[in-house]
Amino acid sequence: MTSKTIANSLYGWVDERLGLSDVAAFARHKTVPAHRHSFWYYWGGISLFLFLVQCFTGVLLLVYYRPGADAFESVRQITFVMHFGWLIRSAHSWSANLMIFAIMVHMFSVFFMKAYRKPREFGWFSGMALLALATVFGFSGYLLPMDELSYFATKVGLQIPAAVPFIGPAIANILRGGPDVSEFTVQRFFALHVVVLPALFLPLLGFHLWLVQKHGNALPPSEELKHPSDRKTIPFLPAFLRKDLAMWLISLNVLALLASVFPWSLGKQYDGLSPAPLGIHPEWYFMSPFQMLKVLGTLLPGEAGEIAGLLLFTLGIALWVLIPFYDARKDSGQRARTAHYFGIVAVVLLLATTAIGYWTIQ
Amino acid sequence: MNYPFWDIPHIGSGWVIGMIAIFHVMISQFAVGGGLYLPMAERKALRMKDPAVANAWQSQLVSHSKFFLVLTGVFGTVSGVGIWFAIGLTHPEATSTLIHNFVFGWAMEWVFFMIELTTIAVYYYTWNRVDPKLHLTVGWVYSIASIATLVIINGILTFMLTPGDTWIGVAGTGHEAGKFWNAFFNPTYWPSLFLRTGVCTSLAGIWALITSSRIDGDKQPALKSGMVQWSVKWLVPSFVATPFLLMWYLFMVPGTQRALLTLGIDTIAGGTFSTVTRIALIIIVTSATIVGVAYYLAYRNPVDFNLAHALSILLLALIVTGAGEYAREMLRKPFVIGRWMYSNGTRVPYVPRFNAQGYLARSMWTWDGDATAQPSSYSRGEAIFRGECGSCHTMDGYRSMRTLMAARDYAGIRNFIQMLHEDKPDSPYHRFMPPMVGTRQDMDDLANYLNAHVNTPASGPQKPLLAKK
Repeated sequence: MTSKTIANSLYGWVDERLGLSDVAAFARHKTVPAHRHSFWYYWGGISLFLFLVQCFTGVLLLVYYRPGADAFESVRQITFVMHFGWLIRSAHSWSANLMIFAIMVHMFSVFFMKAYRKPREFGWFSGMALLALATVFGFSGYLLPMDELSYFATKVGLQIPAAVPFIGPAIANILRGGPDVSEFTVQRFFALHVVVLPALFLPLLGFHLWLVQKHGNALPPSEELKHPSDRKTIPFLPAFLRKDLAMWLISLNVLALLASVFPWSLGKQYDGLSPAPLGIHPEWYFMSPFQMLKVLGTLLPGEAGEIAGLLLFTLGIALWVLIPFYDARKDSGQRARTAHYFGIVAVVLLLATTAIGYWTIQ
Repeated sequence: MNYPFWDIPHIGSGWVIGMIAIFHVMISQFAVGGGLYLPMAERKALRMKDPAVANAWQSQLVSHSKFFLVLTGVFGTVSGVGIWFAIGLTHPEATSTLIHNFVFGWAMEWVFFMIELTTIAVYYYTWNRVDPKLHLTVGWVYSIASIATLVIINGILTFMLTPGDTWIGVAGTGHEAGKFWNAFFNPTYWPSLFLRTGVCTSLAGIWALITSSRIDGDKQPALKSGMVQWSVKWLVPSFVATPFLLMWYLFMVPGTQRALLTLGIDTIAGGTFSTVTRIALIIIVTSATIVGVAYYLAYRNPVDFNLAHALSILLLALIVTGAGEYAREMLRKPFVIGRWMYSNGTRVPYVPRFNAQGYLARSMWTWDGDATAQPSSYSRGEAIFRGECGSCHTMDGYRSMRTLMAARDYAGIRNFIQMLHEDKPDSPYHRFMPPMVGTRQDMDDLANYLNAHVNTPASGPQKPLLAKK
């Protein structure tokens, strides 16, 4: 028997049981719309790629990381003693940031392409949930090195849930494992970061990908207006997949450049008794809400400001998430235009408050 | 006028050389590799049996050679002269050593430059005007001349990293030029020559992909496939041989400098300490990407290969070339000419003299201002900073002293300078930085100057900037 016959019979054996031919036939016939906005289709794939990088580097970090009292020392060893430990850690941190950036680009492109409309509402909801989980991933991972910066940033960050009326302090206490950020907090955040969040994230991601597969890529409104015979498509295999993989390769290069040229540093070990260093600020993806709360706090001092800020925030996020119910029809009526302006306001607000946030720190 | 301490704020003079050099290398190595590509492609076309295909190849080669002529003949030569300006201003001492030591080397180099420039012009303007065999011969003459330029410049560049024991033995005696060939065929000469040849052939293929991508795949699919796939093959020798050549090259580099490469494996302390390792990683990842992109986008799908794809490969090649040249520069630390001249232009055997008599007293280029007035400690410190630190550091940009010395008070800065002055073999800075030479007074002056900038008093920085007038 030649190697080809062996491979064929092996494929036949597996195919009979798993139905690979059906999947292959489906993939062969699958097409993806091709138009001038096609570039935005790749951002979901880029986010997925960066998530896979984090899984891989995260598992490697897990081999040496020790939560609890040893947390800082273990990260110090990873960064300064283990061979290429700094690279794995840098790749993990950079891919986390790049992933949140990619998800945000993906989210806004979905929003402006109006890809949340029927029948893709669940794609939008699950995507929003994935973004929320990604930011919690970021928040919990940020503390794990337990250096000065992460300690104080977490301390400041936990003031947000603590500000929720009635139940806030209890939630903050549960997260902290006590009245203050300590080794217990690291232990809890670690459990959250490597067990709880992945357990929520992975099935949700599977659901999201399944929906993308089920409904296919959405057409932007300008393409929807065209007659079906005027719309162009490209085959998923190999044309779209090849471009998708090329985007992955570009992402890998950007990641390698960032991780190598700007390796993630490690600050001083935290000291709960020392004063907070100057310029403590949250990660860039929390900068916008942080700044908005700060502005509201100035306008309405005291608890009233905090509550008003949280309410306004919750309302804004709720409106954003529920947009498929408001802008549901496939026409460019008043509601579609309002949703579009809402998106523009959101982008401008996000960029402006983030910029102001960084400006005021400096 | 602060010549020759060429003070480029924020980016530093090193980056001025770096930017011109990387641009130049991208083109000059294409001039060598492309010089081989053109006659080989022409010979291939001449041997084709189908005249229609042969003509299509030839007309494509005419447009490629025009692109080649403009790029190498204009941008390559201008940037080459730019490097001379930049190194002359940034490193007058090192440039002087290179000129004096290799005067006949440079003479030969420029003869070959002239042959290159003449033959490539003749080659382009005589397409279809002279006998094809004669035209091909002109192409081969260009090719040989351009390879000769690489053969010569490689000797001078590798000399700077590994001058060799024989040359070091006579350095400073006035008989250095007598050891021309020892300096020329130095330990890293051969591995570097093969490495650069590989880079040249790769760049020949990559630049040819730019012109090939412009062929209309719908109208001339056979020509486009043929040109694109043939050009991709030019990348193969380099990508197969580079890992082995690189190992050979590193084997020939002194162990102390090779250690810079391994230092970054287990630490990122201080950033600079691990630069070579980090840059090496970029080279590996980006090179692998070039192979992947060239294979899938160009070789497997030549007809759909477009200019954007070609430019992305060129951009990747630019990153690899830039990273490679940067790593080579870093590998030479703390010298600009291995074991003979530190990266700030101080000659190794002159260190005791500077330490005994003072840096400014023995420095060839200090401005003594108004002879009747004594310069202040601050202005002496500024002159020392420009002479000893300025070739690698800026005050507030690249390798910023303000950042590096932040959180240190005067005593901390002074202690740091003392450590650099002692330059003990176990000091982490010993591998990267020249010793701080000079007397106790020089160190006080430098510390004063740095302290005035790092811990700026509320009233602003001290003045005057140079000597009192």
